[in-house]
Amino acid sequence: MKSMPAPISRRPAAAPSLNSAHGLIAAARMGAAGTLAGWPVLLGRGGFYVVAMSILAALWDKVAAERVPHALVLPAGGLVIYVGVTEWIMMSTPAIHLRLEDDIRSGALEVHLLRPKLYLAQKIAETVGGLAARTSVIAAAAMALLLVSGRTVPAPAAWVYIVVLGLVGGVIVVLLYAVTGLCAFWIRRTMPVYLIVQKMLFLLGGLFAPVSFYPRWMAQVSEASPFAAALYWPGVQALHPSASLFWRALGLQLIWIGLLSGLAALVWRAGLRKILRQGV
Amino acid sequence: MSAVITVQDLRKSYRYAKRGRGLIGALRGAVAPEHQTIAAVDGISFEIAAGERVAIIGPNGAGKSTTLKILSGILEPSAGAARVFGLVPWLQRKMLAYRIGVVFGQRSQLWGELPARDSFALLRRIYDQDAAPFARRLDSLVERFEVGDLLGQPVQRMSLGQRMRCEIIASLLHAPSLLFLDEPTIGLDITAKAAIRDFITEQAANEGQTVVLTSHDTRDIELVCDRVIVINAGRIVVDQPTDQLRRQFLGRKLVTLQSAAARIVIDLPGIQVRPSAPHTTILEVDTRLVRVEQVIAAALKDGGIEDITIEDPPMEEVVREIYASTHQ
Repeated sequence: MKSMPAPISRRPAAAPSLNSAHGLIAAARMGAAGTLAGWPVLLGRGGFYVVAMSILAALWDKVAAERVPHALVLPAGGLVIYVGVTEWIMMSTPAIHLRLEDDIRSGALEVHLLRPKLYLAQKIAETVGGLAARTSVIAAAAMALLLVSGRTVPAPAAWVYIVVLGLVGGVIVVLLYAVTGLCAFWIRRTMPVYLIVQKMLFLLGGLFAPVSFYPRWMAQVSEASPFAAALYWPGVQALHPSASLFWRALGLQLIWIGLLSGLAALVWRAGLRKILRQGV
Repeated sequence: MSAVITVQDLRKSYRYAKRGRGLIGALRGAVAPEHQTIAAVDGISFEIAAGERVAIIGPNGAGKSTTLKILSGILEPSAGAARVFGLVPWLQRKMLAYRIGVVFGQRSQLWGELPARDSFALLRRIYDQDAAPFARRLDSLVERFEVGDLLGQPVQRMSLGQRMRCEIIASLLHAPSLLFLDEPTIGLDITAKAAIRDFITEQAANEGQTVVLTSHDTRDIELVCDRVIVINAGRIVVDQPTDQLRRQFLGRKLVTLQSAAARIVIDLPGIQVRPSAPHTTILEVDTRLVRVEQVIAAALKDGGIEDITIEDPPMEEVVREIYASTHQ
């Protein structure tokens, strides 16, 4: 018989520790490793970004050439870089709602509930890890495309603003998708909610055009929304890079991260109460 | 011996909205839904002592999985009380998680696209384990389960048997004192099943772990557990040591004779001949009517016997008999 495993010290303390930073970082690393392990998909995503951006660049170049009034006030080629930023964020965000829905519907959630750490926090940390891996690869594709296109490259400060706001914007999209996925506790299939969130990202988020193009009242509503915090505000740094705009955008983003985290926690608790009573 | 699990008059019922047929039925269900209540667990009580290996068995829908879920803290009962290590599972689920290990045969706790090694590393963080002793324990489990070559392989590319070995390692990494196993050998081949059973038995014996197992494979119950709780329609119908259960419900032995002759004929009361291949005679002996040694003596009297095997009837037959008796 082989030797028995040595007993180990464990910490079933009076109360279990909350999700430690170490645990969440480990989950994020796991998410990043999982995303990188699927490197063919990641490369495909980078390739698709190049194709999508080539089409959108052609569209916005034509808009500029046709002298559409709004396009005239923007820097030459700025709209293309704006859309490059918003697409970069959207295409980098992993589909956490599908994973949550799958775990809830299939009953796989039970396995996670048997652990001493909060499932939702672990899942979000994993997804943010995946987001970090994707943003790096797609950013490389975007930079290559930008250099090949011969367009004017934004100033170095603008890049810092774009990267920071882009990553935080990605986290906002993750949280929006997380709340969407948690709806599976009640509606089982979250596609209808996802479609609404996605369309709101397109429209109020300004995925294809800055929300400043909208009528004034609509632009104001959009700019204050979490959708614009995720996409428009990072993208606008490609058009009008400024420190004051950056801090304003970052502040708005952090407010939305707080609100959406609270919403996700509330929805999670309600869903958990439901399945603890009724089963998965 | 102190009780690790105490269950008193535990009940769990589910309420469903009945759905009518067709469009009219759907509309009626939406406007004035009719509800139906089903008792999945209907007033069960038992205790499990430290170090016991207990099988909870029953037909599909009997309430065994519901019981296991309540005891592991992922389902609230409708009434009654239960304590595991003195904790109320559904109220102190996370605290209890440090002390229990759970294996669901049909669900994975590993990250499919990543190597098992990465899953184990994350589980260390999840269970707040210190690095050095954790590494020693992992090494030891990996050696005993002979999965050293598999650690770098993505879990989704493993065979079911390989994955199940890694699943059990994952459930033991935090050194739980209580192991819940839900169909741990489902879908495995004979060799893999034997390896899993041996490991569970050895592990429980050496570390004094308490094991609660559900399975439809009666060999799991026979070879791993020393006590069986049979649940049917949400109620406990039998709670006995495994050996006693087998004897009480059948009181029979299977005597297999290998012979030069195509068939051995024995004329004694309480014997039934079961179908078998030529040169093999399988006798079902009712030990309340005739002793096994009388049967063997009668077989040897005619000569030509090459081999004799005496076995208890398979557990499956025991279970079938129990279900039949409780339905009468």
